[in-house]
Amino acid sequence: MEIHKEKIILMHQYLDGEIDKIKEMELFTHIEKCEACRNHFEELTQSISMIQSAENIQAPSGFTNNVMRKLPKEKKRIKYKR
Amino acid sequence: MEQLIREKIKRVKKGDQAAYSMIVDFYQDRIYQHCFRMLGNKHEAEDIAQEAFIRAYINIDSFDENRKFSTWLYRIATNLTIDRIRKRKPDYYLDAEIKGAEGLTMYSQLSSNDPLPSEEVESSELNHYIHQEISELPPKYRSIIILRYLEEFSLQEIASILDIPIGTVKTRIHRGREALRKRLRHV
Repeated sequence: MEIHKEKIILMHQYLDGEIDKIKEMELFTHIEKCEACRNHFEELTQSISMIQSAENIQAPSGFTNNVMRKLPKEKKRIKYKR
Repeated sequence: MEQLIREKIKRVKKGDQAAYSMIVDFYQDRIYQHCFRMLGNKHEAEDIAQEAFIRAYINIDSFDENRKFSTWLYRIATNLTIDRIRKRKPDYYLDAEIKGAEGLTMYSQLSSNDPLPSEEVESSELNHYIHQEISELPPKYRSIIILRYLEEFSLQEIASILDIPIGTVKTRIHRGREALRKRLRHV
């Protein structure tokens, strides 16, 4: 179990782009042999690509106008400071 | 674009309110979407996203122009969403499990014509499912996962948006990915 835990930490380092070449080799050599770790890694990458497939949402129409209407009154200090 | 935004901010700081509307226009979709993903609810998302732009305007003098405006704006929006989540009474958490009823949540207690919080927006079932799974992550993992994978900020930028050390970002993103994996593995 300990060995898997160690590899899972490496998986996360890999996903954050913070793994060195040697550790990366170590990780993928292990993943090839170990089904549990292979599944774990695939589940991680798949869940990431799954959430990335979520559609973009747009702000409701009139959003900017609604914000602009709610702003406190314009500061006049510059205009009248002559 | 970054340059144009910078110029608009200078004008806003000098008291030109109209210059702010271009800034709102430019960031509205991203900020609204971020709020929606954090809150899982269209009405709250609109409310909080508007509030974020208003707060940013009111506090514009404290914005340091050497920093990225988007990071600053996201920080305001994220803090507001987290405040809103905290203020929801735990009793009314729709996704809280009902005691003694394994896997049953308050959602199942709603009458069928009450729209679910995230139901109104998505066009597809999968999309609906994904948003629901995201909005059920604990908030501290949710914000990180959204910022990293949906809004594609770097770990360093996330540290600055959430105002936490980069080491904490890494720990949370690690746990957030594991939480997400557990939720989505059987899809």
